[in-house]
Amino acid sequence: MGLALLFGLFFFGLLTGMPVAFALGLATVGGFLYEGLPLFIGFQRVLSGISVFSLLAIPFFIFAGELMMQGGIAGRLVRLASYAVGWMRGGLGIVNVASSMLFGGISGSAVADTSALGSILMPVMKEKGYDPDYAVNVTVTSSVAGVVIPPSHNMILFAVAAGGVSVSKLFIAGIVPGVLMCLCLGLVAYVVAVKRGYPAETFPGFKSLAISTIVALPGLMTAVIIVGGVLSGVMTVTESGAFGAIWAILVTVFVYRELTWEKFRAAVVTSVRTTALVMLLVATASAFSYLLTLYRVPDLLATAVTGISDNPIVILLLLNLVLLGLGMIMDMAALILITTPIFLPVVVGLGMDPIQFGVILMMNLGLGLCTPPVGACLFVGCVVGGVRIDQAVRTIWPFYLAIFGALMLVTYVPAFSMTLPGLME
Amino acid sequence: MGPVERALDLLAKGCVGVAGTGLVVLVAIFGWLVWGRYVMNDTPTWVEQVALLLVVWITFLGGAAGVWTQSHLSIEFIREMLPSVLRVPLHWMALAGMLVFGIVLFWQGWTLAQSLWPRRVPMLGVTEGLRAVPMAICGALTAVFTLYQAVALATAKT
Amino acid sequence: ETWRTWAIHPEGYPNVTALESFAEDVATATEGRIEPQVYPGGVLGAQPDAIEQLRAGAIAVGNFNMGPMGEIVPATNVLSLPFIFRDVDHMHAAMDGEIGQRFSDALSEAGIVALSWMDSGSRSFYNTKKPIMTPADMDGLKFRVMSNDLYVQMVDSLGGNATPMAYGEVYQSLKTGVIDGAENNYPSFESSNHYEVAKYYSITNHLIIPECICVAKSVWDDTSPEDQELVREAAIAAAEEQRQLWAERSDASRAQVSEAGVEINEVEDPMAFQTAMEPVYAKFIEANPDLEQLIRDIQAVE
Ligand code: NA
Ligand code: NA
Repeated sequence: MGLALLFGLFFFGLLTGMPVAFALGLATVGGFLYEGLPLFIGFQRVLSGISVFSLLAIPFFIFAGELMMQGGIAGRLVRLASYAVGWMRGGLGIVNVASSMLFGGISGSAVADTSALGSILMPVMKEKGYDPDYAVNVTVTSSVAGVVIPPSHNMILFAVAAGGVSVSKLFIAGIVPGVLMCLCLGLVAYVVAVKRGYPAETFPGFKSLAISTIVALPGLMTAVIIVGGVLSGVMTVTESGAFGAIWAILVTVFVYRELTWEKFRAAVVTSVRTTALVMLLVATASAFSYLLTLYRVPDLLATAVTGISDNPIVILLLLNLVLLGLGMIMDMAALILITTPIFLPVVVGLGMDPIQFGVILMMNLGLGLCTPPVGACLFVGCVVGGVRIDQAVRTIWPFYLAIFGALMLVTYVPAFSMTLPGLME
Repeated sequence: MGPVERALDLLAKGCVGVAGTGLVVLVAIFGWLVWGRYVMNDTPTWVEQVALLLVVWITFLGGAAGVWTQSHLSIEFIREMLPSVLRVPLHWMALAGMLVFGIVLFWQGWTLAQSLWPRRVPMLGVTEGLRAVPMAICGALTAVFTLYQAVALATAKT
Repeated sequence: ETWRTWAIHPEGYPNVTALESFAEDVATATEGRIEPQVYPGGVLGAQPDAIEQLRAGAIAVGNFNMGPMGEIVPATNVLSLPFIFRDVDHMHAAMDGEIGQRFSDALSEAGIVALSWMDSGSRSFYNTKKPIMTPADMDGLKFRVMSNDLYVQMVDSLGGNATPMAYGEVYQSLKTGVIDGAENNYPSFESSNHYEVAKYYSITNHLIIPECICVAKSVWDDTSPEDQELVREAAIAAAEEQRQLWAERSDASRAQVSEAGVEINEVEDPMAFQTAMEPVYAKFIEANPDLEQLIRDIQAVE
């Protein structure tokens, strides 16, 4: 009953056109009053939902992305990318996927990846005649690579929740599925681009390519600092995000000399807006999740799943569908912590390695980040791309299918996730 | 732009200004952290906690400004597809919902700030209450901005 | 009546297993009048939030560590002093006796009724560089500590470089050299997988921090004296079970990390580490003169 009220209020709030963050908050208030729980606990969740250290990387990546955009780095990067692979049909879509593999693979946060890459690539894609919905679709779905390809904070969360799963194995296990997923997305991006007749630019010659490379190099260093800082171990993800922003300021002020005071202010203002939108959503969603946890929603669903069938193939499919459903309405980190202890025994009972399940969980909940009604990446992508959510979602299904296809392969063919960790022994 | 609208607009811009300064400070102190840890081999231990505080201020001040500029994420397409006999009441309900949530946010933020006040933020010594203050501010501003939008809607109709 | 029971540890951890026995015992003994329901893994929030929830009556039972409790009940900061307990037996002797009662009284004033005391093991330093034999070996090494002035002072006094950092960042930071080491007990060292990257574990036993099974005072006062007695008995039994399970788990974790190639060493002169803590104690007593007697009394417990 309380659960029905909670979801009823939430969906009704959405229907009225209230901002999603506020609809979540208001539904939570209703739920707390109905349960007779002290209201301040809900708001304590609102507050602690954003007082999370790893979330600090989000404003940094958003800000670095904005600076790169305002200060002329993005333009030079994209010129390089389009010289290099623009000769393919829908080249920028493929560039988007490929850069997500690199960028998001290092950031570990799909949301940060969406905002950083999206703010760089989406304006250029639109300029080159790509439809905004396509730009959003590619950016949002490819950002899931950020959670699957190591390093990934969410994987560490899973390892802790699973109690005794090796993080390094988990990291290695994510590589092949992450690349597989990006290949599927790249293929879809190509097919859709061909169907829509997006331009394939002429190859400008190796000299132009070389020049554009040199010109883009100082800007490229921003990515190198962020990527290299983490991989070489010089800095944490959060630190390298901040350092990337500082580097972006230095390059755009002293090398490209394009970042005027006005543009700097514009970058700050846009970053504040985007950061606030995302974080407010995280805040109220964590209060909402608190009630879902109290109602033991994942428990109820797990019981239902195992009650339906004892065929492993069917159970795995059902588990995936349940996770997809939960991922649509709940926050990824909370879901990892809640569902891991419940679902892991079920899949281990079916003979699945916890490592493989970890990778499945990342891909599955990652897809949830791209789906309405609650999909942080989708929201951020739509904000950055200036596209309404319904416009984006109308044409996103081939991209969902690509991720889902990769997810099915990883679920039913253990070799995709287990071969590399197996080599470690 | 009437005087009330101008005042509220200034208020929203002020929020963005403070939040933006917070963002720049956030980047700067992390630069200081990296410098301290790697060059001076002496990690400034206050950075982590200051950063967590700043993020809350950026979120709620930026969030309040977002209410004024109506830049929060919402799903309006369903409402806009409906006939006006449904659409108009739904729009009013959205505003009422925002107003109620704003008031509750203010009230709860205030309560939380009071209950957290005696506690200290570890490593900093400032009061934990500072974490909840921006929530109260955001709630109050949300209510005020929504009220203005409701009045504007009502007067525009007649 | 359902009693929501909060725990930070995941399912299968000694604390959670013991809390589940507690839940079962209470439900049976009170013939269903009280039914504790365990929410493991911190799904209802981190400890500071959970304490507030308990004080507001939204959750009835909590398994709290006394480390972060200091923010709310200052007297419990004494338990975060390095080397306040000589060993786990000393901690048991103190907490199960009159000293434990004094902490219970302090907690009770904050609306928290402590029923029994669990273990969280003893914490030691581990790092990626070398075995630590003397405080001098810590010179210049960056150690992650929990965000608490006492732990920062502890590492700084030993000559290390204290680095407060979120727990989730530690693995990667160790791996990549952002920090050189951290400190924890065997089960956490093992389950966090930090042993994969930090190959030296040096037994300093610098922190032995008890945990409680606590009930909200508002809930407790609404419970009949007979049921209170039954709940208290179950909590004491659960704490005994947890201590037993914890010891087993600790041995198993030690064996596992040792098998994985971690070099475990005793320090050369434990006294040298304790002596280095004198400025930490002096500063603490200066700031909390009223707690000096409590410190002396704990140290006097045999
Ligand atoms: Na992308
Ligand atoms: Na990505």
